[in-house]
Amino acid sequence: MPAITAAEPRIATARGEPALKTLLTELVRFSRRNTLAAIGGFVGLCIVFVALAAPLLAPRDPLKADFRRMNKPPDAQSLLGTDQVGRDTLSRVIYGARTSLFVAFSAVILGTTVGSLWGVACGYLRGRFDLVSQRIMEIMQAFPDLILAMAISMAIGTGLQAVIFAIAITRIPFGGRVIRSVALTVREMPYVEAGRASGGSAARIMAIHVLPQCVAPYLVLASTHLGVAIVIEAALGFLGVGVPPPTPTWGNMLADSITALVPPWWLAFFPGLAITVTVLAFNLLGDGIRDVLDPRLSPAFLRMMAGGKRE
Amino acid sequence: MRRAIYAAVTLLGVSISIFVILRVLPGDPLVAILGVEGHAQMRPADRVRIMADLGLSDPLPVQYLRWLGDIAAGRLGKSFFRGDTVAEQILHRGPISAEIAVLALIVSWLVGLPVGILSAFKPNSVPDGVARALSVLFIAVPGFWLGMLIVLALLFWFGYKAPIVIVPLWQSPWENLQIVLGPGVVLGLAQGAYIARMSRSCLLEVISEDFVRTARAKGLREGFVVMRHALPNALLPVITISGVLLGFVLGGSVAVEQAFGVPGLGRALVTAVIERDIIVVQNLVLLYAVIFVVVNVLVDLSYAWLDPRIRYS
Repeated sequence: MPAITAAEPRIATARGEPALKTLLTELVRFSRRNTLAAIGGFVGLCIVFVALAAPLLAPRDPLKADFRRMNKPPDAQSLLGTDQVGRDTLSRVIYGARTSLFVAFSAVILGTTVGSLWGVACGYLRGRFDLVSQRIMEIMQAFPDLILAMAISMAIGTGLQAVIFAIAITRIPFGGRVIRSVALTVREMPYVEAGRASGGSAARIMAIHVLPQCVAPYLVLASTHLGVAIVIEAALGFLGVGVPPPTPTWGNMLADSITALVPPWWLAFFPGLAITVTVLAFNLLGDGIRDVLDPRLSPAFLRMMAGGKRE
Repeated sequence: MRRAIYAAVTLLGVSISIFVILRVLPGDPLVAILGVEGHAQMRPADRVRIMADLGLSDPLPVQYLRWLGDIAAGRLGKSFFRGDTVAEQILHRGPISAEIAVLALIVSWLVGLPVGILSAFKPNSVPDGVARALSVLFIAVPGFWLGMLIVLALLFWFGYKAPIVIVPLWQSPWENLQIVLGPGVVLGLAQGAYIARMSRSCLLEVISEDFVRTARAKGLREGFVVMRHALPNALLPVITISGVLLGFVLGGSVAVEQAFGVPGLGRALVTAVIERDIIVVQNLVLLYAVIFVVVNVLVDLSYAWLDPRIRYS
């Protein structure tokens, strides 16, 4: 007994104080091995920071028109030029990051969470519930993403929530299918059987035994779908069925730019560049997270899923 | 056969969900057609009459079954706002969108496969690095933005604008090509990036297998080993991914058509969505889903045909 009590404080300090340090060393090791992912993560963090600190960083009010400075190319006063009604492009791109990231994060978290919970239930309960759910997910995946999102946002009206909801729905079946396959393996594990044998209810076993196993694939899924969500949001805005103007979003800005007969190049270029850099950063980060957390989600595995049904 | 039945069931579900999304969620279609103000100004009797004229006042299951019947009979209904029927729109605009999709498919294979093979030949070499960087880049670039930039660049530097009126392929192949080339290539490059990635990783996996080592041990040339022994085995997953990618092509083409100003089906869909033209949206969305599902069934079947180990019972 005394030996154990003596050892305890040491463990406590090992877990307590230097936690930050171990986290840092972990991060350094991660970035050595996955330089690209680390760069992606860093750029992604910067963009998140820009989005959060938009009011502090934007040089002007993104909504304020200035009719003395319309269609100005980039100069000292407005670094990325101004649009048809004299709004500052740089400020609008910065505020656009806010909308885009907010929509993408909310939609991915909402869609992947719902899909994952559904997937856990399918994989664990099996039977008729699983069969019916699989058919429903197949139906959801029969629509091309963008077209389904368009139809849904048309039905429930345009607006921030509508766009989030529309994109979230397109993410559900992805979460559902991947997490279902995880749950299918986990349910055969001895400890799950032990839980069942000791009389745990299905809900309890799913919550304390199956769900924790799904955290890693969940993170992988969510991070790989961020980029897709950003592109869908931008495309909806570009097509005029996204978050309605005057809210600055990257897609809206691109849509505005082509209404001109001879579109000013800076209006067409910078918002798209912002989309590309953001998507690139999140994709690289997502690939890195996948490599580290879940080899099961490697391309080889996903291919097997896609090709599926080897009989 | 079972695959086809599954697909039919899926499509039935697709049609029901389109119907539910578009009819049940938005409430009153008349508000959608006339706007809130126009709807409020109307007399109730007129509202009832218009609803009956449009066939929108019957119970929903009746409407749904009539829709299915109409599709079977080839009647796809009429736009609320334009004179032309949906069938006319599809016949008029469909070919151009189909050409774009086919062109995108061709480009994606022509570009993606050789790049993937080159990468796999010498993994982690400089060309491989360049190829992988480019594919990561092309996956991230939104097609509609790339399209906008191409249109702008051509306009700025050459004063060139592609024709904006539909010209059928058989009438004037050259003008037709000018319309479809841009969108097809832009969409194709993005898919090509996925194909390059996929074929690289599949080839690398196959190359490490025993039969490839045997082929090498026999003293066959490396090129022959890769092209003749490894490639056919690596191609199957690439074909599958190509079917899945069609979803991106179909969805992406809607935005890319808009960027290039191509008057295709995607453009018609966007217009209908903005005008809240329910009948048109309902039929066009169904059309896109049908194409997507049917192509994927074909991909699955070709898979079984190419690889005798797989049989769908």
